[in-house]
Amino acid sequence: MTAWRRAAALARKDLLLEWRGRETITAMAGLALLVVLLLGFVLGAEAARAPAILWVALLLAATLGVSRWTQAEVEQQALETLLLYPGSREHIYWGKWGALTLLLTVLLGLLLAAIGLLFNVDLWARFPLLLGAGLLGIAGLSAVGTLFAALLIPVRGRELLMPLLLLPVELPVLLGGVRLTEAILTGSPGGGLWLGVLAVFDILFLLVAPVLYTVVLEEA
Amino acid sequence: MGLRTEGLSRRFYLQDALRDVTLTLPAGSVMLVVGPNGAGKTTLLRILATALRPTAGRASVFGHDLVRAADRVRQITAFVGTAHGMYEGLTAAENLAFAAAMSGRPDRSADALARVGLAAAAGARVRTFSHGMKRRLALARAWLLAPQMLLLDDAFSGLDADGARLVDALVGEVTSAGGCAVLATHQWERGLHLAHVVVGLCRGRLVEVSAAAQVSAPRLSALAGGWI
Repeated sequence: MTAWRRAAALARKDLLLEWRGRETITAMAGLALLVVLLLGFVLGAEAARAPAILWVALLLAATLGVSRWTQAEVEQQALETLLLYPGSREHIYWGKWGALTLLLTVLLGLLLAAIGLLFNVDLWARFPLLLGAGLLGIAGLSAVGTLFAALLIPVRGRELLMPLLLLPVELPVLLGGVRLTEAILTGSPGGGLWLGVLAVFDILFLLVAPVLYTVVLEEA
Repeated sequence: MGLRTEGLSRRFYLQDALRDVTLTLPAGSVMLVVGPNGAGKTTLLRILATALRPTAGRASVFGHDLVRAADRVRQITAFVGTAHGMYEGLTAAENLAFAAAMSGRPDRSADALARVGLAAAAGARVRTFSHGMKRRLALARAWLLAPQMLLLDDAFSGLDADGARLVDALVGEVTSAGGCAVLATHQWERGLHLAHVVVGLCRGRLVEVSAAAQVSAPRLSALAGGWI
């Protein structure tokens, strides 16, 4: 009960701060829509390109958002206070993960709407499946992102370092997300393999990352 | 025993911030830590709060080892540091509700805010607060946590006479319940009447440990100014 209360309080706090400032979601949505427009313009707005463009936009926007995800604690010198509350620091991880997952889900909704309009893809018939695939990918993105955001707290140029660390690790999510979305949109077989890749990635990082998070924050 | 340290030391890279500090503080007592800038006051308090690990030596708070039982120490300790540690985009009440949830305490934020004279500002965002109001809010959080060990760094910073009385009341409440308080300050005049023990630090070393009643004002001025 205490674990749930602590994680929920942290997620609520992060989302409330984001709702009032709207800094991260605005920057993420701006970048994601720009990537969709640019890639659509350069590669052509063909329906077959939509999955790759959707996931590249989502990943780049997530990278931008993740590097700001501990900003409130760092800028307002609240990290030490947060870490001195009694209880496992895994609860902090789950709270941050939950809030980031929700934020990226909102972004996914925006991106699906934009892709549906610009690429003339009929998303609505397969919307539940697309949303499910998106959530599976987002869970992994958030799992790694939350850990790396903590890892880079003491680093001065963390916004610059974050893409170098995050993008290679998130490659399975990108690949799995693109292939699974393609399979859903075209109705072709082979989606099961990529569903498995995403599920294994999520399970692995959701088991390991909270433990590493407590180690990373031991004396951040 | 409320607090016990043995050879407590902390090194940052090649710099010794605290060297070989051995202290005891009985339950129900108040320790006043004085010293100039860079004396190691904040380092000592951060170690006692479990925000930093000592590089040598050991310490315990009410019998709980600071390293091996850090979470137990956190359950009974409230630390008010030089940074207020509040979220400026949240209101005062939201900040305290968050603190209550994170520490597993009941949400008595309305009471705590009333005690520090911020009841009227409960719904205002902390961004709009003055330094003194933020400091009062940090005291309200400490009140909410009902600690056995109260650690106040730069205890009277930014506080007016009413604010200083809040520190007195909070310390009194903690010690009358059998707890301890450690106050680090340059303004020893404002904290001396609360103290049972005075500790002087200079360049990380312990230079004075005396009963508060036996330390003269010139001696305290010298300790606070680092002229010893």
